[in-house]
Parts: sequence; structure tokens; C-alpha cells
Amino acid sequence: MKKFILMTLSVMFIFSVQVQAQKKYGKEITLKDKTKISSILEKPAEFVGKKVLVEGLIVNVCENRGCWMELAGDKPYTKIKIKVKDGEIVFPMTEKGKKALVEGEVYKITWTKEERMEAAKEEAEENGTKPDFTGLTDSTWYQIKGLGAKINE
Amino acid sequence: MSIFSSWRKWNRLLHRDLGYIAFGLTVIYAVSGFAVNHIADWNPNFNIENISGTFSPDLIPADASDSAIAAILLPQIGETEPLTSSFRPSPEEIQLFVDGNTISANLVTGEIDQKKVQKRWFLHVFNYLHLNHAKEMWTYVADIYAVVLVFLAISGLFMIKGPKGILGRGAWLTALGILLPLIFIFLYY
Repeated sequence: MKKFILMTLSVMFIFSVQVQAQKKYGKEITLKDKTKISSILEKPAEFVGKKVLVEGLIVNVCENRGCWMELAGDKPYTKIKIKVKDGEIVFPMTEKGKKALVEGEVYKITWTKEERMEAAKEEAEENGTKPDFTGLTDSTWYQIKGLGAKINE
Repeated sequence: MSIFSSWRKWNRLLHRDLGYIAFGLTVIYAVSGFAVNHIADWNPNFNIENISGTFSPDLIPADASDSAIAAILLPQIGETEPLTSSFRPSPEEIQLFVDGNTISANLVTGEIDQKKVQKRWFLHVFNYLHLNHAKEMWTYVADIYAVVLVFLAISGLFMIKGPKGILGRGAWLTALGILLPLIFIFLYY
């Protein structure tokens, strides 16, 4: 009985080490060709509804639920948000500053000024900062619904 | 030995041994459940420390590279970890990433913010399992555990015979346990 328990624990330990080394999130990545983030940001409407594979540095991660992260673009001062369904994928905060490869679908969001103010308020509460309402107007932007990701260790 | 006493014997035996096996998992699920139940009040996975400060923007040469800026700013805030990467959100701002810390600096105003992140080791691992972030084989382990819990609940009803068993005091306490969630469903659902 003792031998059986020790063998089971050994197999589980080896399996757990393998799992940790992979750092995969969500579904398997199926696309092979990467799309530059700058290409999406320059002509986002052309990518809406399309599946893309993007690569970039993780510059921000949702603090509470790990339900989004932002990837730096390939051109200066640009970034794009990767949003995942709550609980399906969780990006740990400790992954900031690492490179990620993400597959997902580009989609469009349209918000009124009031909706943006509410979101800014919630985000500030999450981050423990003061909400910044400057320059908020009705707006449309694009982000990626993340389906699968690989993060370099 | 009658069929009835044989059934009772197996019920006790399985309840005992499955209970031993379920002990570790139950502690993990209970502790994690307590932690994530209060997710609105705290971060159950990470300890986050925000530190704000200032530096003199004159320290930074106008054409300094990201690594040159890091070489100036990191010692200013006492950060000893090496720079892993950096990002420029705008010409005036820089984000420096080191292991466990994100430093955001405004090169014009001299404001500098640190966000130090540390895993809450036990809770992070417990939540990882409880919320099934592991996926893969763990999904099946958790499914089996759920079935075992149902078995433990049902078999527990028949552990004791007599006035303190399920036909006596046990019936009232079991009814109370069922009534409690029903009250909340009625009140809030």
C-alpha cells in the first residue's frame, strides 16, 4: 500500500512539473502566421471577426481576475487589449514584462461617454487609484477576444 | 451476517477511507472557497503593494535609451532586481519591468509609481486548483472528488443507528441543512 501511494505521488509530481513548464493558457494555438499588432491598429475594421495570432510584451494584466492583458505593439507607444472570458483563462499578474503569443478574434466595442466613465471608475477601484475622466467621449475601439496563449518564461 | 449489516459495514468502511482521501482536497477547496468568496475585498492570489514617489527629471538625458533610464531610476528607488523588459506608453512615460515589480515613471513630471506583486503562495496554489485553472487531468480529479463528496454526504446519514441517527435527531439537523440554502434562494434568487 505504501509503495502504491509513493508511486502515485511520484507520477503526480512529474506530471505537475511538466504542466508548470508549459505555460499555456486556454485552447491550443492553431494559426501559424502572425499578424502585426500595428496592422490591426491601423485598419481595425478590416480585422473584425477574424482570428489572428499576435505577439507582444505583456505590459498590463487585470489585477482582480486576470481576465485581460495588454500587449505592446510593434510600433512605439501602441498596445492592444486581450480580453478573455472570466474564469476560462486567467493571466497571472506575475507575467507582466514577458512576451506572449496570443490567438484570438478581433472585435469592436462602442461605448457612450457615461459607459466609459463607469468603466474608468471601476478600473480605478480595482487598481486602488483615482478615476481619470479627462478626454472621455463616446468612442469605438477594438480589442482581441483571447482564445489561447503561450507565455515565454 | 445479514444483507443489512453487511451493507452498513461497507458504508462505514467506504465512508472512512474515502473520507481520509478527501481530507486534503476538502481543506484546499474550503480555504480557497473562503478566500475567493471575499474577492470584492481583496486579491486572493497576489499581495499587491503600490508605492508612489518622485525623482528629478533632470537626471534623465533627453536621448536616453530605456536601459539607460532604468540604470538611473532603479537605484533611485532601491530596486536591485535586473531589468527584464520595458515599454513606452507615450514619449513622456516609461514602464520598467523587473521580477515582481512594475515601475511606471513620468519623465516630465518626475512621478514614479511602483507596483510590487507577490504570490500568496498557498492561496495561489489552492485557488489554482479550486477554480480549475489547471484544466486537463485535474478536471477529472475534481469531478471524482465531487462524486466522492456526494457519497460522503449520503453515507454519513447512515453512519449511526438509533435516536441520534437519520430517523431521529439526524433527520432534524439534515432538514435544517437543506432549509438554510432554500431560505437564501427564496430571499435573493
